[in-house]
Amino acid sequence: MLLDAFNALMDIWVLVAAIVGIVTGIIIGAIPGLGPTMAIALLIPVTFTMPPIPAITLLLGVYQGAIFGGSISAILLNVPGTPSSAATAIDGHAMAKRGEGGRALRIALYASVAGNIFSCFVLIVLAEPLASMALNFGPAEMAALMFFALLVIVLFGGGVRLDAALMVLLGVFAGIVGLDPIEGTPRFTFDSFAMENGLQLIPVLVGLFAMSEVFLKLFERRSANQGDMDIPEILPSKVRFIDMWRMRATLLWSSLIGTFVGILPGIGSTVPAFMSYSLARARSKQPNKFGEGADEGVAAPEAANNAVTGGALIPTLALGIPGDAVTAVILGAFMLQGLAPGPFLFRDYGIEVYAIFEALILSSIPTIIFGLLLFKIAVHVIRIQPRHLFPTITILALLGAFSVNNSLVDVWVMLGAGFVGFLLRRSGFPLPPLLIGLILGTPLEQSVRQALLTSNGNLDIFWNSHIALSIIALTAICIVISVAISVFKNKRHQGSSDV
Amino acid sequence: MSLLKTVLTGAVFSSMFVSLGANAVDYPTHPITMVVPYGAGGTTDISARKLSSLAEAELGQPIVVENRPGGSGTNAMRAVAKAKKDGYTLIATTSSPLFVTPAVRPVGYDSVKDFTPILNYSGPYHGVLVQADSPYESFDELIASAKSGTSISYGTAGAMGGPHLSFELIARENKAKLKHVPFSGAGSATAALLGGHVDVALVPAYRDLVLDSKLRLLGVLDDSRDPDFTSVPTLKEAGYDVEFPSVVGVMAPAGTDPDIVAKLEATFTKVANSDEFKEFMTKLNQPVRVMTGKKLGETIKMNLETFRQVAKELSQE
Repeated sequence: MLLDAFNALMDIWVLVAAIVGIVTGIIIGAIPGLGPTMAIALLIPVTFTMPPIPAITLLLGVYQGAIFGGSISAILLNVPGTPSSAATAIDGHAMAKRGEGGRALRIALYASVAGNIFSCFVLIVLAEPLASMALNFGPAEMAALMFFALLVIVLFGGGVRLDAALMVLLGVFAGIVGLDPIEGTPRFTFDSFAMENGLQLIPVLVGLFAMSEVFLKLFERRSANQGDMDIPEILPSKVRFIDMWRMRATLLWSSLIGTFVGILPGIGSTVPAFMSYSLARARSKQPNKFGEGADEGVAAPEAANNAVTGGALIPTLALGIPGDAVTAVILGAFMLQGLAPGPFLFRDYGIEVYAIFEALILSSIPTIIFGLLLFKIAVHVIRIQPRHLFPTITILALLGAFSVNNSLVDVWVMLGAGFVGFLLRRSGFPLPPLLIGLILGTPLEQSVRQALLTSNGNLDIFWNSHIALSIIALTAICIVISVAISVFKNKRHQGSSDV
Repeated sequence: MSLLKTVLTGAVFSSMFVSLGANAVDYPTHPITMVVPYGAGGTTDISARKLSSLAEAELGQPIVVENRPGGSGTNAMRAVAKAKKDGYTLIATTSSPLFVTPAVRPVGYDSVKDFTPILNYSGPYHGVLVQADSPYESFDELIASAKSGTSISYGTAGAMGGPHLSFELIARENKAKLKHVPFSGAGSATAALLGGHVDVALVPAYRDLVLDSKLRLLGVLDDSRDPDFTSVPTLKEAGYDVEFPSVVGVMAPAGTDPDIVAKLEATFTKVANSDEFKEFMTKLNQPVRVMTGKKLGETIKMNLETFRQVAKELSQE
């Protein structure tokens, strides 16, 4: 079967489709606000008349390319192109600021490819068993998992834990705006129809990370030297195989987290990226380096958010149940090609489906080639003078916010989020926990309430499920470890100062 | 048969045009905008794009599809209600923003007074589904069990949707213990049923899961049987006075020139009945259900009243 599928790939159009898809994806992903969903949706009509294998290869190439492309603007400009690359920006941009942008991009590229290959491999080997495993995650299990994710970000995300906890809560509160997920009644919308959607992720993300950067620059005390800014030297950016091999454990863990969270519906790729970042930091011997440009701080989130693509395809294809907007669009594309996802997909169209999976793995080769070519041009972005760069970022931010729903309200939300982000950054609060709180707040509330609805208000539903109970136990262990570490550190610190 | 039908419909409508005068013939002179109230890539979007591209050839002007997602479709409806009544702004819309959401909360438009229906062309069937090994073999058994005190939970694609309101009505009239658990999207509700986290799911797109014996279809919420499962009754046929007819239709702002509306209805009806469109919709696993503008208008009006009543009763609790 796998060999027949491989033979089906021996077609020049599959290669062309893969290359066009990946390059388009990388470029679209790099532009803040334009994500993979929009790119794929716009390309679907183009693929109407194409045969199934090149058509789907093209669309999935866009998906992969866009997830990776988001990290280019995150690293070079500190403006995440897609929400999932916000984690990459932390250490990636720190590296870029000291002239190692090329190196950060290469690490991101190789880590992305590693995450992608890992998750595609899982997809080929274990799609059906994992899809049925995912079904065991009901509301109670999802609630426990989301709570765990929030806690990991607070405990191991870096910085002061109280600050992170406050930011998570702020994000959760921001998520309350909109329609109540259970009753369907408006909350804090002040009778505005536009606010019934709540604060949309992309305008808030673009505001918090991109627009706040502009405000920071705007209100920065001017240096005596009004002329051109010192530009960091672009340092040699070679990343050897051994450099990546050293990070093998981080890459593996991150890929596992990405694939696993990808299989579960509704969490997306931002949360696993931050979870992997936090885990890599917690496991590191030099956690202080995180935030200041650590290699693993770039590799971990990139491996995770790319691994999500393979994971998210598992329930979409094996059950016909998409977990998010992107996979819902991909589901439509499969159907239009006559490959209806669901229980019969692998039985009826095995060769096509396996050919598509193999194309996903093989497209790592063009991803690396074209990624490296694009970097040659892209690293020079860092040399653009601020007076040219910041207006460009502003325009991209306005455009990105507007293009989500073609709505001006989103532009105001973006500007508001930008100002809030500016105030918080000036006061030294970390923004990533705020983003995670906003992403997980409503789903967490919905899951808890769904679980209690199905159990008639009985809390037992959280203890009676083995999965939920294990996750709760894991959460408790994490709290204990985290507290123990800080107590130990404090004691040692006191001990050394006594001497 | 369908060819004959197409030819006949075409003949009837073209003879109508002869009598319509010069006004309608001048339309369209520039591109038409077709607003889709959901994001690009969803089934409503994909089918509206195909329908538009087929109609372009007939009308001789491009039809530009514009996505205006948000507010479960109400944002786009509000915008089109206020658009120019010149026939150059149309909307491809569905049950929820037409007669469910407006019945539940203020939306800023009136789906009867602010719009002129042109035609209905699709509408996915919503089923009442249980796991294949569930003890319930029929809808009656399910309700009988809920009446006798067993609490039965049912998942839907979201709070205050058509399936939710319909089932609330059944629960009320039969004093049955049916507990609603809303999910974000029909996919999550289906997954929750497959995983055994809810007892029942009211969702569309169930065909393959039923054929694969993972789920069992007990009834159809629509006003007619699902052609893929003709042995399964609608809820009305099963003896419960509830239905949620699913519509996907094209509308224009109210006050659009009747000649233009007639021309659009004729064109869209012709392409919606074409073999190419039917084949396309079959691939998408969506039915083609052509209904005249007049009939669509009546359906909307009737259901808006029904759902208003349901919502009113619910809020009096």
